[in-house]
Amino acid sequence: MRNKLLWLGFSLILPVLIILLWVYVTHNSILPELLLPRPGKVMEMFWKQITVGTLKNDIRVSLIRILKGYALAAVVGISLGVIMGMSRIAERFFTLTFTSIRQIPMMAWVPLLIMWFGIGEESKVAVIFMAAYFPILINTLSGIRRTDPKLIEVGRMYNLSKMKLFTKIYLPSALPNIFVGLKLGLGISWMAVVGAEMIAASSGIGFRLNDARALMQFPIVFSGMLAIAITGVLMDWILTFISRVVTPWDKNKS
Amino acid sequence: MGDELVVQNLNKTFYVDGKPLSVLEGINLTVSDGEFVAIVGHSGCGKSTLLKIIAGLESPDADGVVTLHGREIAKPGPERGMIFQEHRLMPWLTLEKNITIGLDDKTRREKMELASEYLRLVKLEGFEKAYPAQLSGGMSQRAAIARALVTGPEMLLLDEPFGALDALTKIEMQKEIIKIREEKKTTMLMVTHDIEEAVFLADRIVVLSNRPGRVRDIVTIALSDKRNRGAADFAWYKKKVYDYFFEPEEDAGPEFAI
Repeated sequence: MRNKLLWLGFSLILPVLIILLWVYVTHNSILPELLLPRPGKVMEMFWKQITVGTLKNDIRVSLIRILKGYALAAVVGISLGVIMGMSRIAERFFTLTFTSIRQIPMMAWVPLLIMWFGIGEESKVAVIFMAAYFPILINTLSGIRRTDPKLIEVGRMYNLSKMKLFTKIYLPSALPNIFVGLKLGLGISWMAVVGAEMIAASSGIGFRLNDARALMQFPIVFSGMLAIAITGVLMDWILTFISRVVTPWDKNKS
Repeated sequence: MGDELVVQNLNKTFYVDGKPLSVLEGINLTVSDGEFVAIVGHSGCGKSTLLKIIAGLESPDADGVVTLHGREIAKPGPERGMIFQEHRLMPWLTLEKNITIGLDDKTRREKMELASEYLRLVKLEGFEKAYPAQLSGGMSQRAAIARALVTGPEMLLLDEPFGALDALTKIEMQKEIIKIREEKKTTMLMVTHDIEEAVFLADRIVVLSNRPGRVRDIVTIALSDKRNRGAADFAWYKKKVYDYFFEPEEDAGPEFAI
């Protein structure tokens, strides 16, 4: 327990140093106040935005988009990863197509998706899906593939059905990898939604950032970025917690 | 006693980069009900492959036949249990679930009862809910033995089961196997490269030659006192088997170091 606290303190050193540097730079007017507002002012704005302002609502709107797109990406990514991992034929069938699509950066999808789905919810969900499904698929695939053939042999020794082989051996073996993919996918989802909202949206945290930039409200830009970072870290923690609960035997997790 | 297992004219060829590589050649072997047979040979002589063929995990070349009580072996079955060199327990399952992984037709309650019964047999009572990572190497191998026995096999196939254990644990496990054999009357077929282990446990020792594996000789062990590793005839049998491997032999081909 003591050790844990020490480590927490240790990981806080760098953020504190950065804030100190920020304080130093702004208080000595090295950069103009307009471009880099003082930390105190940003914090004040952050608090105001959360309690009475639009920030809370912006985050909520973006999170709901993520939940939709990410859930879809997780379902599709895991299912396809499993199918491709268990069947060489399926892997051959899909791989070329998926790796080709993968070469297109997620932001390059935005114009097309907006044309198809408009600037409403559907286009954001589609961008998140396009960004997140691939890391989930690839990690699921490699997790299934890396299942120890010695354990599979045990399954064969007991004539386990294909379904039982999957639920008792392949899936649990792949779970730690699947969570790596889910974490990567979640991080990318967050980036994708903010990016998409900055390009074309009328709500959400990305829209708020762009809007504040246009109005030269830099404290709002900064507090928005702060909110993005904090929300991202929180989501990552939640996923880490879930993976610990679901894979209690796995000792390689951070 | 009937002939339980019959291996007739068995060959096995692997293809490495399209080139045939003969691993087993003209193997003939019968194992009676309740007998303990050890197969001894260099690493790479195909002894594990032979065991896997009998388990039904590998298939022999077309001309060979392996039958168990007159029925040809084509795939694994519950009448044969296998113990590998590594325990091969699923890290994500508790011991209880690991042990009963092959029991499809039982209710949850029956499975739990059987798990407890067989954990008691291998002296792991109270570890039903433990994960494999919480066990030592010897304990894990005990659990693997319980898993192999729980389906009630007539025959246990042991592939260097104690090769990875320390010397003291190994001796303990050998005694354990003897006890299980007395209690369950299971036929045992064990692959090992430990000559002392083979003499201590087996009724007969099959000596395999280097690749391709052929049966060089079958030594019947008739010890006055089976439990005494210090006895003179124990040492004599050890020396006899040892000499197959480390004396100059006319038909010795090039050594394969694997």
